[in-house]
Amino acid sequence: MTNEKNIYKPLKSKLIEVIDESSLIKTFVLIPEEEFAFKTGQFIELSVDGIGEAPFTPSSSPQVTDRLEVTVMKTGYVTEYMHNLKPGAYMGIRGPYGRGYPVESFFGKEVLILGGGCGLAPIRSLLYALEHVRDKLEKVILCYGSKTPADCIYKPLFNRLNSIEKFEAYRTVDRADGEWDGAVGVATKLLDKIKVDIKNSVAVVCGPPIMMKFGTLRILEMGYKDEQIYLSMEKNMSCGLGKCGHCMMGEFFVCKDGPVFTYNELKNTPDIWK
Amino acid sequence: MKSESTKITIEDLKKIRFLEGYTDEQLNTILQMCTLREFSVKDILFEQYDELSDVGILLEGTLSLGISLPHEKRIHLGTIEEGQLFSWSAVFSPYISTAWVMAMTPVKVISIDAKKLINEIEKDCGFGLKTMSKIAQTISHRLSDTRFQLMNQLII
Repeated sequence: MTNEKNIYKPLKSKLIEVIDESSLIKTFVLIPEEEFAFKTGQFIELSVDGIGEAPFTPSSSPQVTDRLEVTVMKTGYVTEYMHNLKPGAYMGIRGPYGRGYPVESFFGKEVLILGGGCGLAPIRSLLYALEHVRDKLEKVILCYGSKTPADCIYKPLFNRLNSIEKFEAYRTVDRADGEWDGAVGVATKLLDKIKVDIKNSVAVVCGPPIMMKFGTLRILEMGYKDEQIYLSMEKNMSCGLGKCGHCMMGEFFVCKDGPVFTYNELKNTPDIWK
Repeated sequence: MKSESTKITIEDLKKIRFLEGYTDEQLNTILQMCTLREFSVKDILFEQYDELSDVGILLEGTLSLGISLPHEKRIHLGTIEEGQLFSWSAVFSPYISTAWVMAMTPVKVISIDAKKLINEIEKDCGFGLKTMSKIAQTISHRLSDTRFQLMNQLII
């Protein structure tokens, strides 16, 4: 017998709170039975006994190891079951897996983050991590787009970010409702209004595939080099260990080699945006 | 465009994102073509299919851009943010607007006389290339964003 962690065994975690973020998205606040550390951008497999598991990137701060927040969009059988869970239920956590954001390499630079839809979940974790080291960063700019104002998750986050020194946060919606008085249009349009020192900057893109594609192309057009752009890919991760092959993208296992890649690593990969 | 005009300075022009990269001399040339105009909330700057004589740059506030459908129904497509160019149709024949623009907040707009701008573009190749490149980039971004918006609608 050894004391090595069993990478296949889920860590039992108690669900203490369920936060409604939008009609399809909920955040689950979990207390793991043991401390659970992860690097921002890494993902976990979240499970419900007898139902199944699915991959998610934690949306909470990587500095907090005794409490984990996972934001789940209802998309299928497992996530629908999760959405019906109440505080007091137990869930399992496997991981963390893969390669997260190289936050230390962002030191001394400006960080431009382009996000869309549910992509704000992993971005929130990154923002917490960047806030923790903000003295070592030049500036952090978040440009985020959602379909409608009601689809925007973590609404209080934006005011909070704009109150933090060196942080700027902008929102837009594809379709406004009667009460929305902010920007209307896709997330990329926000890139036209920000000021960033491109040579001393990195860009992070996270969101639905269409946004990833259009966002990356616009960021390249702005003058960013391939290796300055970090993409958070989601490709049907399953085992989390680079064994099952579900998440293969070209030569990479997204679960093991990613999910965070530079555009330089992926640009020649077929079907990168699918 | 309507509303009363007020004074504008070269310092105002230097703050505008669309005008970044122009020399002081070129900005002075643009200044001679400019008028500052102010609009109130809900003012229509121009309607779709209006003939345009000015190119606009939004200095302060937010503008809404959209298209009209039959029965006077207006579809709001997006916003124009500070520093952005609009009513670019004023420099391309047939000089007819492809969308309507309405003030969502009180706005200040720099209105550039399109005929004078076209004359300068024809006269000074350096100025002309720079200006047309910037206008083309604006149109390209608008087209790309619209494709993105369309794909978002088609997928879900």
